[in-house]
Amino acid sequence: MGVLLLCGTRKGLFLIRGDDARRNWDLEKTLLSGWSVFHAVQDPRHGDLHVAANNWVYGGTTHRSSDLGKTWERSEGLGLPEESGLKLEEVWHVEPGHDSEPDTLWLGATPGILFRSGDRGESWEPVRGLLEHPTRDRWQPGAGGMCCHSVQIDPADPKKMFIAISAAGTFRTEDGGETWVPRNKDVAADFMPDPFPELGQCVHKLLLHPARQDRLWQQNHCGVYRSDDRGDNWERLEGNGLPSGFGFPLAIHPRDPDVAYVIPEEGAENRVTSDGRLGVYRTADGGASWELASNGLPEPAWGAVMREGFASDRNDPAGVYFGTQSGSVFASSSEGDSWTEVARQLPPVLSVEVGEWS
Amino acid sequence: MVVVRIPSLLAVQAGGQGTFEVEAETVGGALRQLPVSDLLIDEHGELRRLVNVYVDGEDTRGLEGLETPLAGASELRVIAAVAGG
Repeated sequence: MGVLLLCGTRKGLFLIRGDDARRNWDLEKTLLSGWSVFHAVQDPRHGDLHVAANNWVYGGTTHRSSDLGKTWERSEGLGLPEESGLKLEEVWHVEPGHDSEPDTLWLGATPGILFRSGDRGESWEPVRGLLEHPTRDRWQPGAGGMCCHSVQIDPADPKKMFIAISAAGTFRTEDGGETWVPRNKDVAADFMPDPFPELGQCVHKLLLHPARQDRLWQQNHCGVYRSDDRGDNWERLEGNGLPSGFGFPLAIHPRDPDVAYVIPEEGAENRVTSDGRLGVYRTADGGASWELASNGLPEPAWGAVMREGFASDRNDPAGVYFGTQSGSVFASSSEGDSWTEVARQLPPVLSVEVGEWS
Repeated sequence: MVVVRIPSLLAVQAGGQGTFEVEAETVGGALRQLPVSDLLIDEHGELRRLVNVYVDGEDTRGLEGLETPLAGASELRVIAAVAGG
């Protein structure tokens, strides 16, 4: 099995095939030309590719392929009910469902929308519990719109899920999506009159650790956070090696719940990588300290990595991958110890995910 | 019978077909018969903001929009507005 990188870009989807040793990488021709691919993922249960794609003119949709991109089917009629008064703006993130529900997928979208598919992505229905959430009138859009960009499912229980919306915050459900509770205690929202509100936080990326399901990591507009009690309490993790708490992408180690990676930016008012370098920062102690892991990365560099642009594989040692707004894709087969540029001059990279090919 | 022509990106989504012959009384009636109708008309039944539709060269937004009658018309052309980046 080789690693397959799915790189969503502003202008189509690019697949990059790695060999078994993750040393040689082949860039394939563009797929889904004309679509802005916000996120693409390979469903580990079936191998299907699922793509959240948007077009300036024709709106947001999803595409799926069961033959690694040779042919595609598009879901038709994606939208919101008229009585909601809302229209679908963009689709942001496709998340394969729990292993026990092999035909279920989830799709995060703007404005603050979660869709569920029960037929492997052929059709989608909005999750009413979120669409009609009683706090919706208090949600505010971030610069990218009010996007639901993170969907995390507890591997131990398909009814327990987390989503994050910018800027509404983190929400948890324990009943499969019927009801959602905000989980943002001690998470800052410096742009609000009350800097620690119940909701309204600008989460940039949220991940649940698959091996320790109580643990969540969060890269926020206002800091990097960890929760060890499923979002009930959050601890801010900076001032200990990170040059900035601001950033978008986040990656975690597939097995070690204490290892995470971020790529900080200068700040909200200057969204370029910190200190004039493309710097990955890694923690091996749950965020108590961070070290720069930039061996092989360019310097000087004023790039940026989007919220979906960072991923890890399940190999040992783990591979870590990210793509930049400048059109480069970097890979590390050594858990971040060293990096190699595996593609360059792509359109701006919006997302990176890891799949496999044989 | 009216001939409907769609842009190449939509033709890819329609299985490679860029021209359709349809029977319809209105512009909306014709567009709704296309396999890419949801990319032209949103979930509330409105023409997407950056989609322009011309009946024999005339912009339907200056006529009756999706309700524009097609009686006597021969060609319906779908053109994306100049937008994007």
